Amino acid sequence: MAKKWGQRVRNWMAEKMDLPQDVMMDLPRITMIGQIHVYVENHRGLLAFTDKELRLLLKQGQLLIKGQSFVIKTILPEEILLEGKIDQVIYINDNPGGTK
Amino acid sequence: MKNQWTEFLYGRVTVKVSGKGIERFLNVLTRNGLHIWHVKRHGTETITFKMRLRDAKNIRHYARKSECSISFLRRSGMPFLIKRLFKNSGFLLGAGMFLLILLFLSNVIWGIEINGAKPETEYQIRKELDKMGVKVGKVQFLVDNVEGIQRRLTNNIGELTWVGVELKGTTFHLQVVEKNEPKKPELLSPQNLIAKKKAIIVNMFVETGQAVVEKNDHVEAGQLLVAGEFGPEGKTELVAAKGKVWGETWYKSHVVLPIVTNFKVYNGKEKQKYSILLGKLEVPVWGFGKPEFKKYETEKDVRKIHFLKWDLPISYINKTVREREEFTRTYTNKEAEQMALELAEKEIKSHLNEDAIIKDEKILQKVIKNGKVILDIHFKIIENIAVGQPISKETQE
Repeated sequence: MAKKWGQRVRNWMAEKMDLPQDVMMDLPRITMIGQIHVYVENHRGLLAFTDKELRLLLKQGQLLIKGQSFVIKTILPEEILLEGKIDQVIYINDNPGGTK
Repeated sequence: MKNQWTEFLYGRVTVKVSGKGIERFLNVLTRNGLHIWHVKRHGTETITFKMRLRDAKNIRHYARKSECSISFLRRSGMPFLIKRLFKNSGFLLGAGMFLLILLFLSNVIWGIEINGAKPETEYQIRKELDKMGVKVGKVQFLVDNVEGIQRRLTNNIGELTWVGVELKGTTFHLQVVEKNEPKKPELLSPQNLIAKKKAIIVNMFVETGQAVVEKNDHVEAGQLLVAGEFGPEGKTELVAAKGKVWGETWYKSHVVLPIVTNFKVYNGKEKQKYSILLGKLEVPVWGFGKPEFKKYETEKDVRKIHFLKWDLPISYINKTVREREEFTRTYTNKEAEQMALELAEKEIKSHLNEDAIIKDEKILQKVIKNGKVILDIHFKIIENIAVGQPISKETQE
């Protein structure tokens, strides 16, 4: 319950104080440049990487990127830059119906 | 994105990782601050990526804990380039040699240009330069410096009035001014010849004009010798009197010569020191230690080293340390008298024209006191006593 309260306070603050959501709520920030680049900030680790698929752990749930001929241009503890031909970016929730 | 250039400078390696749990391994690496990039998958169990050379040393430590095996594929960047450069040191050597040869050739005399000289004089100058060692192909700082060359040329070649020596790059430019014997100006205005000083006439050569005096006549200073005005009364003709009148003249000379004289002379012992000046730092190359001379003087010759057309902040210094000796010259009375006489002659001659002859000399008085010889000498000299005096219209009428 306490965690939920914290979340709510943060959400409220972000809304009222005009702060970016990703900073306040530990959400990933995904930047895409056309089909060729995906830049994901604030991820929690690499789960799977092949040349057709990249799976990233997020604070809540996972992020699945599908496409072709993937190359990780840079990988840092919380950032990743992926290059290739990106077809899909999919969020996978562990617990559907949880917090948004 | 990090700057790729710094990675290039520090060196990077391509790593191949194979096994299970590669993703976990990558997470471990990134969380421990190892920077990796360009991750690519090859097949199901293999990936390759690039990383810094200095991180590559630590990777084994992490790899041991995981189930992956790693191997290094490619090395690139500066450290490896340098390694390769040393391996193929022939290239490095060649480049070094090239610069060295260029540096050497920039300091060689490649030409001697002489301007303003007649062919004969030019030939003489070239011969003299050859003697000095100034030749095409010699190293510049091993020959005499510009001032020295200039001095020697003007001293040794009589035809030269002045020679300007300039070193431009690798070429010596010599600007020559030759002595042009000036033509004697024609005396067109009428003139008389009069005596310059008291004399007895010994001989006369009159070119134009009418001699007024004769041989063995005694003349006073200012007396008319050759008249430029002659002819019968009323129909006088005016000419510029020309000629030479040799008269015996007398001079008295007073000479004082000390019997004992101290000289400071170089006794010929010398020591050469060579060094190279880098900016302000002087690095001795040859000739170490202090000279063992008691009294000495140092002559310093500094030459800039050129590279193509630029002067480098490097100079070649040649120091010559010469021993100086105090030398005492003592004359006997007779020698002193002889020397004093010679001195007097020399002094007299410097006042006279070149064609004057000393006919006789007589010592009038000789005193030796306070270590000095004092001579009074009487000279008889035969010289041209005629000087021109223009005839003005007023005196004529």
